[in-house]
Amino acid sequence: MSLRRLIAIVRKELRHIVREPRNLFLVTVSPAFLLLLLANIFSFEVRQFNLAVLDLDQTPLSRHYLASLASDGDLVLAYSVASYAEIEPLLVKGEADAALVIPSGFAATVYSGQAAQVQAIIDGTDPFAGTQAISALTARSGVFVAGTEATGLRSGEQPVEVHRQAWYNAGLESTVSMVPGLLAIVLIMPTMALALALTREKETGTLEGLFATPVVGAEYLLGKLLAYIAAGLVSAVLALLVAVLWFRVPFRGSLAVYLLLAADYFLACMGATVVIANLVRSQQAAMFIVLIIFVVPSFFLAGLISPVSTGALASQLASFALPATHFVEISRMVCLKGLSLGQMIRPALILLGMGLGALAVGLFTFRKKVA
Amino acid sequence: MILRIGNLVIKELLQFGRDRLLAGFIMLAPALQLILLAQAIDRGITEQPVVVLDLDHSRLSRQLMTNLDNTGELWVRFEVDSPDDMRRLLDEGQARLAVVIPAGFARRLSGASSPQPIQVIADGTNTVAASVTMSAASGVVSRFSADLAAGYGLVLPEFIDFRTAIRFNPTMDLRHFSIPAQLGFITYQVTLAVAALGLARERELGTLEQLLVTPLRRSELILGKGIPALAIGGLNFLAMWAISLAVFHVPMNGSPLLLVALTLLFLIAEVSWGLLLSAISRTQQQAILFVFIQAMVDITFCGYLVPVKNLPPLLQAISRFVPLQHYLTIVRSIMLKGAGLDELWPQALALALLSLGMGVIAMRSVARRLE
Repeated sequence: MSLRRLIAIVRKELRHIVREPRNLFLVTVSPAFLLLLLANIFSFEVRQFNLAVLDLDQTPLSRHYLASLASDGDLVLAYSVASYAEIEPLLVKGEADAALVIPSGFAATVYSGQAAQVQAIIDGTDPFAGTQAISALTARSGVFVAGTEATGLRSGEQPVEVHRQAWYNAGLESTVSMVPGLLAIVLIMPTMALALALTREKETGTLEGLFATPVVGAEYLLGKLLAYIAAGLVSAVLALLVAVLWFRVPFRGSLAVYLLLAADYFLACMGATVVIANLVRSQQAAMFIVLIIFVVPSFFLAGLISPVSTGALASQLASFALPATHFVEISRMVCLKGLSLGQMIRPALILLGMGLGALAVGLFTFRKKVA
Repeated sequence: MILRIGNLVIKELLQFGRDRLLAGFIMLAPALQLILLAQAIDRGITEQPVVVLDLDHSRLSRQLMTNLDNTGELWVRFEVDSPDDMRRLLDEGQARLAVVIPAGFARRLSGASSPQPIQVIADGTNTVAASVTMSAASGVVSRFSADLAAGYGLVLPEFIDFRTAIRFNPTMDLRHFSIPAQLGFITYQVTLAVAALGLARERELGTLEQLLVTPLRRSELILGKGIPALAIGGLNFLAMWAISLAVFHVPMNGSPLLLVALTLLFLIAEVSWGLLLSAISRTQQQAILFVFIQAMVDITFCGYLVPVKNLPPLLQAISRFVPLQHYLTIVRSIMLKGAGLDELWPQALALALLSLGMGVIAMRSVARRLE
């Protein structure tokens, strides 16, 4: 292993990356580009629910109640129907998310001092939406209760009240939460580029040419890895600029720490990619495996939207094994919490361990031979 | 003509089978992915770690802590006495929610002259988890408060009695929602990738010219490339469909025949699109880049991670041109809601138009590109 030859390989690889515009785009610009695309769509704030309403009471109180439900815009009184039979098709087509039936005699029951029944029929197909619809209905009904109470219908006081606060993202803005998390996903692109570069040399036969030189396997692999990590860091800076300047995500930590840990993340992803590239013969196979092992699960298992599952052991292990899980955490810690390296030592060491372990396996299984 | 297409299909399938690792991966990975993701999203957001800063140390504060722990969403993992410890646990992500019980809480409650505050602090870096844990904690505190009030003889106004009925997915099982979506999504992913690489690979390796000098017509070449991709996607669909029904007991309320027919229509649209991407790329790497960006766009527009109606109007309009969006609605409605063509004709029509349109465009432009 010679340092001079290693540097020569790194320079050769960097020149390859810079020379070809497509390659340059894939390695450096595509993460920022994807972030721009994804974050705009993932930053959903309010969820509206369309209600189908069957008001069998038709009194001022029932209308007042319905108006109070729709007052803050979460619940939309989208359909007013005249019979039960009209409710079902609206729910099946998904045009209404829930239906509300106000029985006749609603107002009379309330004024007599008893609880009047209101029936809510919820589309449970999407349990998240269903649960949210139920709590929106209950919460809005609670406000109506409190509101009428002020007019003297009832009196009562809550002995305990809840003060809510969110730290690190006081407005609970989803852009602020999603963009740092998405950085972990879009920064898989440089790894994808490395996977393609490693297998392309096999496919087009240029690897053989390289083997005729004195370069040894370790120099070849490390040279490629270092070049792609360096290019990856450029992409990380570009993506971070988009996050901070375009999406106005606060950046409370240190840039140096962020880049150091990004390099750590690249090492973990790229180390695994070296192993994959040793096993497969075509770019096609490499792309499939990177897509199915890294990209798709990272959307669902890395804690980007729902936090990492505390349920089944298999899925906890899968989440732990995904480098993105740790970098989603790190990225949010640096951007939003402004933590120091010492406070993030756990995820940092996990990524380092993964990277070095995979790299050792990759070097060991690499055969400098002509297939 | 049938013979020539048949020969090409056989050649494609032989070639596919030769890279054992890749073939095994394409046939097995989707099923494994389905099982893994289904495991991961079995219970939604549960057992999130909570830190309680109990400055009161009374019987009531202990009672409140037990109530918090008894919810499915929360798990009281830490009890601390200093705000610094609380801050550290939130910083490091060991706790996702903090509940502060002030000193003198129980003593002042017994007087009950004014509402006593309980502070709930969520880690806002993940807004989804923050809102779920915050509402769970607020719910516990409100019920705690209501119980206290009942004990004091204060009756809380409650004049609306909600009767909630949940349709289509009565237990609100998250799997019944996510598995049909994953089924559609994974089928999509495999089909598009296989189709998109077909022509690009031949072009890059120079074998496309050899194919062009054989008696194969352009249209035959395209069909011969498309049918294997369709077959691979279809087989993947059948395998995952069987797993969804047999392993995860997702209900199949609608007509299986309708689902198969519409799946075929969807696969035609995706294969056409894949071949088109394949024809406009000069190298496999370029095709891969296109597929990748396409997949990212489709993930965001398909309505799985973000409901379509939450998108801005312009993006909603774009999403109508994404076959996956219609297909996911179809899979979910047929399986869970037992919907038939009466309800699903708009989606079926959209899918038919899209596959016809894409098929024609693909045929024409691929044929032109091959000249």
